[in-house]
Amino acid sequence: MDMYIRVKRSKTTYFIRCKPTDKILEIKLKLQELVDQPANNQRLIIPATGEVLEDSRTLADQKVENDAVVALTLRKDDNEFEEVNIVRPNDFYQARDADGANW
Amino acid sequence: MRKEDTVKLISAEGFEFVVDKEAAMVSQTIHNMLTSPGSFAERQHGEVTFPEISTTILEKICQYFYWHLQFASSIDLNSENLAVVSGKETEFPIEPELTLELMMAANYLHT
Repeated sequence: MDMYIRVKRSKTTYFIRCKPTDKILEIKLKLQELVDQPANNQRLIIPATGEVLEDSRTLADQKVENDAVVALTLRKDDNEFEEVNIVRPNDFYQARDADGANW
Repeated sequence: MRKEDTVKLISAEGFEFVVDKEAAMVSQTIHNMLTSPGSFAERQHGEVTFPEISTTILEKICQYFYWHLQFASSIDLNSENLAVVSGKETEFPIEPELTLELMMAANYLHT
């Protein structure tokens, strides 16, 4: 196994095993059964920068590394994609999260 | 990925982590739940709820499962490999403030 990424939406996190040479489309195909949505209804975004990942490019191309967090958004009924929505646990450790520390 | 190959781990706050069964089975406790014959409801639904493990800790545990798959299994007596495994890059990072809770959870999960 080469690496994994954490794909997050709302309160759910999908741990996806992948390779740096995988294209984003391949990641979406891995996700499609888990999220019950075909690849073209999915959009993957780097939460820190808001950068939308492109299907035809690889993870390595777009600097997505092992253990990276990627946001998943799905197409809504009106054909638009929803906003990034990742719920964080509201607990003791939140203060540190708020600093934007990456850990 | 097929749903049957994954298991959903649910934290005290109701957050869900979908991981490969192979990864979750790094935990002996989860392994037993998923493989023992009979009446574990977990086995049918592919869902395990941990009302006593917080989200932060459960996520750390899932990261550990994958770290284990990536690196721990590659340890053998070949000295070259050992050097790689003990290297800084492959260390599993644990924040000091998580240590106690993480140890309790690890003990429970036989991880």
